[in-house]
Amino acid sequence: MAVSGSVASTGAGPRTRAPVPDPHLDLERYEADADLMTLSLGPQHPSTHGVFRVVLYLDGETIVKAVPHAGYLHRGVEKLCEKLSYSNVVPILDKNDYVAPMLNEQAACMAFERLMGVEVPIRARWLRTLLAELQRIASHLLALGTFAIDLGGALGGGTSVFMYCFRERELILDLFEELTGCRFHYNTHCIGGNRHDVPPGWPELVRAALATIEARFDAYLAMLEHPIFADRTRGVGTIDAGLALELGLSGPNLRASGVDHDLRRDAPYHVYDLLEVRVATDSGGDCWSRYKVRVDEIRESLRLVRLLLDDLPAGPLSSTKPLGVVSQFKATTGQVYVGIESPRGELGTWVIADARKATSPYRMKLRPPSLHAVAAIPYVLPGHTLSDAIAILGSLDPIMGEVDR
Amino acid sequence: MAVSSGDPGEDAPPPAERGRVDESARPYEHPLYERLLSVPGLDVAVAGLDQLLTWGAVNSLWIFPMATSCCGIEFMAAAASRVDLDRMGAILRGTPRQCDVMLVAGTITVKMAPRVKRLWDQMPEPKWCVAMGSCAISGDFYRDVYSVIPGIDTAIPVDVYIPGCPPNPEQVMEGLLRLQQKVRLQREGRPVPRDDRPETEERMIYPAIGQLRRRLAAAPADPITAAQLASAQALRVREFPLPPGVELPADAAAPRPGRAPVAPASESAATSASRGEKP
Repeated sequence: MAVSGSVASTGAGPRTRAPVPDPHLDLERYEADADLMTLSLGPQHPSTHGVFRVVLYLDGETIVKAVPHAGYLHRGVEKLCEKLSYSNVVPILDKNDYVAPMLNEQAACMAFERLMGVEVPIRARWLRTLLAELQRIASHLLALGTFAIDLGGALGGGTSVFMYCFRERELILDLFEELTGCRFHYNTHCIGGNRHDVPPGWPELVRAALATIEARFDAYLAMLEHPIFADRTRGVGTIDAGLALELGLSGPNLRASGVDHDLRRDAPYHVYDLLEVRVATDSGGDCWSRYKVRVDEIRESLRLVRLLLDDLPAGPLSSTKPLGVVSQFKATTGQVYVGIESPRGELGTWVIADARKATSPYRMKLRPPSLHAVAAIPYVLPGHTLSDAIAILGSLDPIMGEVDR
Repeated sequence: MAVSSGDPGEDAPPPAERGRVDESARPYEHPLYERLLSVPGLDVAVAGLDQLLTWGAVNSLWIFPMATSCCGIEFMAAAASRVDLDRMGAILRGTPRQCDVMLVAGTITVKMAPRVKRLWDQMPEPKWCVAMGSCAISGDFYRDVYSVIPGIDTAIPVDVYIPGCPPNPEQVMEGLLRLQQKVRLQREGRPVPRDDRPETEERMIYPAIGQLRRRLAAAPADPITAAQLASAQALRVREFPLPPGVELPADAAAPRPGRAPVAPASESAATSASRGEKP
């Protein structure tokens, strides 16, 4: 990297001027002893987790200011939903958070069900909870694997952990394929229930997959948690609780900052009110804490899936008929907000119905948790080095599909 | 599974009529060839060397993953432990300057398309492009959204299409095998076989129009069916040659007005690529 400036600023000695961690820093007034270097990270960069661009202003190797640019994957989903019928919206929203499509479907279906007053049978709610927890395991495994590969260049076992995480993730995708016929983008939820019933022998397959994952999980955590990993994550990218709440962070990113908030326990939906969810929190607020919270959530989800499998109730799977015509579902008035706990945080869906267009939403607004995670970048990155920026981006685990929508 | 290679065959329309970039006439060239072939008697030795080079080129297709959305995750699964594209010599690199294949996986938006075009221009020749998933092939259901381009082949030439939403990792591997076959045939100077993609689209679209027309006759006031029928008819009037014995209905005579052309960064091959534009 080309750094022009005094020799002292590149050496190991104390810096003459500490960088100011100010997201609204006016660069015209910045008086550094070295020239600022502008580095555009993205939109095509393997460690930005999709098409995301951050413009970094560097003093030496220290970030002075970070300006995120989103919108490289803007697909106009909210506008597209306005011209689709209610039942056709659901498979579109699969593609938003493409690491956890089950949760997207559930959020949309729950909003539509509350809007139309459709009851969901207990078996469908039970199955939805089960699928949500399985999807949470798969999503956190992917986050863990890509986080390891982000740190992996100088880290022993970085790529290995990625390979192991994807091996376990494939086990869960196999379960979903057995149930719905798809590896992802399932379209298994419909308004009023679920579409695919549990095939014979599926619970045993789930138990076997869970046992395999649990047996292997500790082994590759032991591979990951060594001094280099700790040095690169402890104290890096610290978000305190006040900033996290102000930015609207949610999910593991919020819980890693010490705020004990989980919609599964605090505002239960599905059958979470029948379960005791042990919410994982950590007080550090740094990359290590976010990693720790995700690992604990995988363990908790493994426990919850076992509990749910034991008492899957009998009964109908859907309270509505299988889809005949698109005008089957109509809502003439009202508006509804539904928030559920996706692996990345509070995934909200706000729907407004109107009598002039009763078969499709008048307006649909999504509240993606990743957008708020990305919003933390200009506050967190200044003061860190360039290599820490990659670690912070990986630990926030944003999915660009739902940031840009 | 239908993986189709992008080269038009004998009976395919000229590329300008289909409104797509087509570089099938581009020969495989290397400056070393001409210098070696100027020495008499060396061509026999070069033939053996050429076989060796072909073997090497086919089995070391390095991939530049232009992964934007969901297909990128499935491509990661293809590159990860279970399917493992590395064992076919397809190593993933994060830079365009070391790669042979650009694998476009995911929706390409109007904001992203110039960047994709620039990255494609940065890749050294010879290079190939694989379009993975419905969004990269045609835009899929984001096709009519204001911010999405209808397929990456409106901006850069595509050699292999892998359909699916998203395709399984096994399908990605099949697509890569097809690409290897194509590279081998190209280097040997043999014609590349082509799947019947226009006929597939005809088969898909004709029954849908009949069904929609019957539905509209039953309920003439339904605006959704009318819009769907208009959309299907507009879609059907593509620049494909009709199969023998098939005639267009009278109401489908007017061609679809061209979409607003996507303006990539370079004007080399992409200016004539906007749909419906006839130079």
